[in-house]
Amino acid sequence: MHEPATLTITAPIATLTLSRPEARNALSIDLLQAMHARIDELTHRIAFSSDVHVVILTGAGKSFCAGMDLKQVLDTPGAPLQLLTLLSTFTVKLRMLGAVTIAAVNGAAIGGGCGLATVCDLAITHADSKMGFPEVDLGVCPAVVAPWLVRKIGAGRARAILLRGGLMSGREALAAGIVNECVETLDELDTAVQRLATRLAVGGPNALRATKVLLNELDGSLDAAMANRGAEISAGVLATPEAQAMLRAKLG
Amino acid sequence: MIRTEWRTSSPRPVAVVWLDRSDKKNAMTPAMLDDLSSALAAAAERAAAIVLVGAGSTFCAGFDLTLCKDNADALRQLLIGLSRTIRLMREVSVPVVIGAQGAAIAGGCALLAGADVVVTHSECRLGYPVVRLGISPAVNAPFLARSVGHGHTREKLLGGRIFDGREAIVCGLAHELAPTPEQVPGLAMVIADRLAVKPRSGIAATKAWLNELDGCDGWAERALSASLALVGTSEERERLAALRG
Repeated sequence: MHEPATLTITAPIATLTLSRPEARNALSIDLLQAMHARIDELTHRIAFSSDVHVVILTGAGKSFCAGMDLKQVLDTPGAPLQLLTLLSTFTVKLRMLGAVTIAAVNGAAIGGGCGLATVCDLAITHADSKMGFPEVDLGVCPAVVAPWLVRKIGAGRARAILLRGGLMSGREALAAGIVNECVETLDELDTAVQRLATRLAVGGPNALRATKVLLNELDGSLDAAMANRGAEISAGVLATPEAQAMLRAKLG
Repeated sequence: MIRTEWRTSSPRPVAVVWLDRSDKKNAMTPAMLDDLSSALAAAAERAAAIVLVGAGSTFCAGFDLTLCKDNADALRQLLIGLSRTIRLMREVSVPVVIGAQGAAIAGGCALLAGADVVVTHSECRLGYPVVRLGISPAVNAPFLARSVGHGHTREKLLGGRIFDGREAIVCGLAHELAPTPEQVPGLAMVIADRLAVKPRSGIAATKAWLNELDGCDGWAERALSASLALVGTSEERERLAALRG
């Protein structure tokens, strides 16, 4: 069977790829479960052989990740909360990895997909990628990603971006602080990502890990209860008649 | 001195609340802050978004200190009113957009940290030059710290330096620049129109969750107390009395 998330390791760099290109790597329950399996393998490997120092998160095909696959869960009671909780627990695992993480945002990173990029320690994209959090435009609430965006770009900027919804270009994402680097074209992305990963991998692995652990403590990243509460809030809003009607109209 | 208009061009109700004391650069009096709180609360009853703008060439020059020179109680009322207004902007379930042109100084600039979206222009003069008057800007500190981070907050509140709209964008206090000062209120209204048509459930839940995440409302009372503690002290009284005009 086709594996929806793959892990390739060329020590000291590992690459976790969302591989559901036919659905623009939209986060389905299957995909998120596969992402959990891969990140558990990675966590185990880092803990026991500590030969991976940098992890790249990227998407197969043209998109990075189109966001939550809500169409799949809309008609099954309990499924939205399951999907959102799979995302929230994944974000915490991604943050807790004992390696530096880089989001290589190869294309659209929307909603939860943009959230994944935000959770990574660093993110790179290109000028034409489409990024952002259009949740409020669909009547839903970006509650899972909100704490991560607040941590990354500050509460003031996060407030304006999440309430205004919509999408932005890679260049705008750079100005907002959502990504840390923006190359001109997609063709240049791989080189830039490899250059950054190689440079990071030069750092002392213990120093990198200790620094990351401290940063995680400082910004409250380890608060799993907050992440799960985000999933509950999001699922609660999804269940409102307004959101249901809008999503059904939008998703067909 | 406070006036509410409703946008007629918007498909959903958008309230435009004006600071309207342009002959005094919209300097705030205790009564004006009471009216502002009431106007915001009333607007939130039926608006899908609220705009706060200043009439004339200056958004707000801060507290009307001429009232406070011989009257410490007026300064107390102003600080209490400012704290209440900032908290209210966050408590209402609809987005609040501020358009600040010309200058937003001291208490006027403090209002910005309570808004969800701030529009200004590159030459706008902003800042919190109040410690030199013996007044503590602590009342605004939790909100500013969450908005721009602790580093910028220290520098801006302790240093009291006036900065421009471009710098407000860089530090995250403002989110959008209008090409000219005259276009600031209009752009704030257009942004509010766009926010107003978004589904209410998602907006309200998102705003409430952001309030909870940044947690500064829990600090508001303590911050106000810190500012109030200095009112009436000899340092504050002497420095305000020495103020020209």
